[in-house]
Amino acid sequence: MNMAPLPETRDLAQRLLSYEAKGGNASESVGSSTLRVYEKMRQSLGELAGTAGFQALAFRALTLARSEVPILRAVEVTADGSLNGMSAIEPPTNVERDRIHEGGVILISRLLGLLLILLGEALTMNLVRDMWPDAAHDHFNSENGRKT
Amino acid sequence: MSAQDKVEINKLPTGVPGLDDIMGGGLPEFSFNIIAGAPGSGKTTLAHQFVFANATPERPALYFTVLGESALKMLRYQQQYTFFDPAKLPESIRFINLSHVVLEKDLGAVLEEITKEVEKTNAAVVVVDSFRSMVRKPYSDMDLQSFIQRLALFLASWQATTFLIGEYAEDELRENPIFTVADGLFWLRQTAERNSVVRKLQIIKLRGQASVPGLHTFRITNAGVQAFSRTFGLTARVKNLVGQRRLSFGVPDLDRMLDGGVREGDSILVAGPSGTGKSVLAAQFIAEGIKGGEAGIIAVFEERPQAYAERAAGLGLDLETPQNDGKLTILYLRPLDLSVDETMHSILDAVQKIDARRLVIDSLAGFEMALSPGFRADFRESLYRMIFALTGIGVTILSTVEVDESFTEFPFSTYSISFLCDDIIRLRYVSIDDQLRKVMAVIKMRGGNHAKDIREYEITSKGVVIVDQRLTGYQGLISGLPVRSNRSPREVWSSNDSETKKQT
Repeated sequence: MNMAPLPETRDLAQRLLSYEAKGGNASESVGSSTLRVYEKMRQSLGELAGTAGFQALAFRALTLARSEVPILRAVEVTADGSLNGMSAIEPPTNVERDRIHEGGVILISRLLGLLLILLGEALTMNLVRDMWPDAAHDHFNSENGRKT
Repeated sequence: MSAQDKVEINKLPTGVPGLDDIMGGGLPEFSFNIIAGAPGSGKTTLAHQFVFANATPERPALYFTVLGESALKMLRYQQQYTFFDPAKLPESIRFINLSHVVLEKDLGAVLEEITKEVEKTNAAVVVVDSFRSMVRKPYSDMDLQSFIQRLALFLASWQATTFLIGEYAEDELRENPIFTVADGLFWLRQTAERNSVVRKLQIIKLRGQASVPGLHTFRITNAGVQAFSRTFGLTARVKNLVGQRRLSFGVPDLDRMLDGGVREGDSILVAGPSGTGKSVLAAQFIAEGIKGGEAGIIAVFEERPQAYAERAAGLGLDLETPQNDGKLTILYLRPLDLSVDETMHSILDAVQKIDARRLVIDSLAGFEMALSPGFRADFRESLYRMIFALTGIGVTILSTVEVDESFTEFPFSTYSISFLCDDIIRLRYVSIDDQLRKVMAVIKMRGGNHAKDIREYEITSKGVVIVDQRLTGYQGLISGLPVRSNRSPREVWSSNDSETKKQT
């Protein structure tokens, strides 16, 4: 059950983060794009599964992600399902910066992975398309996160 | 007010096979409905089928989940059904969880939340699953009946068709004020009888149109809920003008005994002990129909179609060619845990598929034995309904039934189903000159002047062949142990005739 996310899932997470990063500004913290992706998922999945339903899902995703990226131990899922501590991580070096980015990719991958397990690809992709209607999600391995 | 001035209520497809017929054409648009039943009775699945059948991007469906089954798990399981189209989510069908509102706030907030979402999406279909979970929580500022009342008013104004789903025991349905608000009240139940689960559906209430009353069997398969109307969906159809044409058995002497043949649309019972040729006569009846261009169905329960056709071939009846030509279907029905209604729907489907005009049920005893014990109590009633429905559209039905041979009685059947039949042909053994010979008599022919003769017949390579004009010179033929009479043939005939009448 604790297998690493599929490359396709990781690729999708990466694309979503890149998509959100393009919409942000340069002064934002490294974790901001992760937070934006996460928050959109929280809103959408919270509507579908309820606050408690999303919170349980997110907690499981974070637990799995922590085992791969220890820096995420500073992050927690609150009672309303929001992510706490992600933006507070201030990386002193580029290496740390990359690890935080990697943590974001893994966390979102894990969330998507849980949806794939529970709902299957068709429903998961429909939900992703609904959350990011302007992004192209025709395939898991699409290289472009934004419509051209 | 003329008929033109009256508002026309649009009927929406339920997406549940058979249910539209039961409802009288579909679910009234903008109606406010409650689906009630015990856990696991199929309430959510039924609602999903309706939602998937009606939701569009322009007029989506909102599916509010409250406390109870997790929406994620609900979707995980529901997508296993064939009606579930993932492409409809979330654009046409939107799932919204209201658990936090129910837990943290009051019914006013729940109403506000539903109102907000309906206004935002212009929803055509709204489902609240399960609203019973809201009932269990005590509220102070707004009582539940008021909430339901306001919700119903709002959703009707917004032209939404609504389902509230609730887990209710049967005794809770009585005098529950919540149910007075509903336009439609659907009750699903399941009971275990011996080793079978019996599922029944009842439309307790449906405003604005006539639904079929009573309990209807339903089944949950990988296609979802499928309902089986007690009237087999034939009540609304125009009864054909039948009864004039006479149908041949393919046994000329028997046709003459029947005053030219059985009337089209009759129900015929061929009764007799084992080996007297009931199935042969039935196969001849079907073959004769096919010869005249009438498609036929043979429902068999005791042997497989191939064996049945091979046995018929031995009697000079070709049942293979018409099967290949689509003029004959031999249904082998060993339903095990199927209900009698489901089995009869299989027969009905086959009849409609090839537009069959003749149907043979061979035999009633096999039919009953093939049903699970829990459904046998419904056998006679369901059989009556099916015969009534099919003969009503002009199908002529021949049923065979095995009766215990008795040398002192002359019973027509052990099933007390004689009242279902317009015509009864009785076959039996008689002991004559140290031989076990066969005789037949037409016992009953509703509205017809049938022969009173008792005729000897044989089963040859050409099927049933009547070999004697009339068995005269015997007394007590129907007892099975006749004695030679010294009386004249007319005197003997009168004696036999009065004996037959006495037994009937």
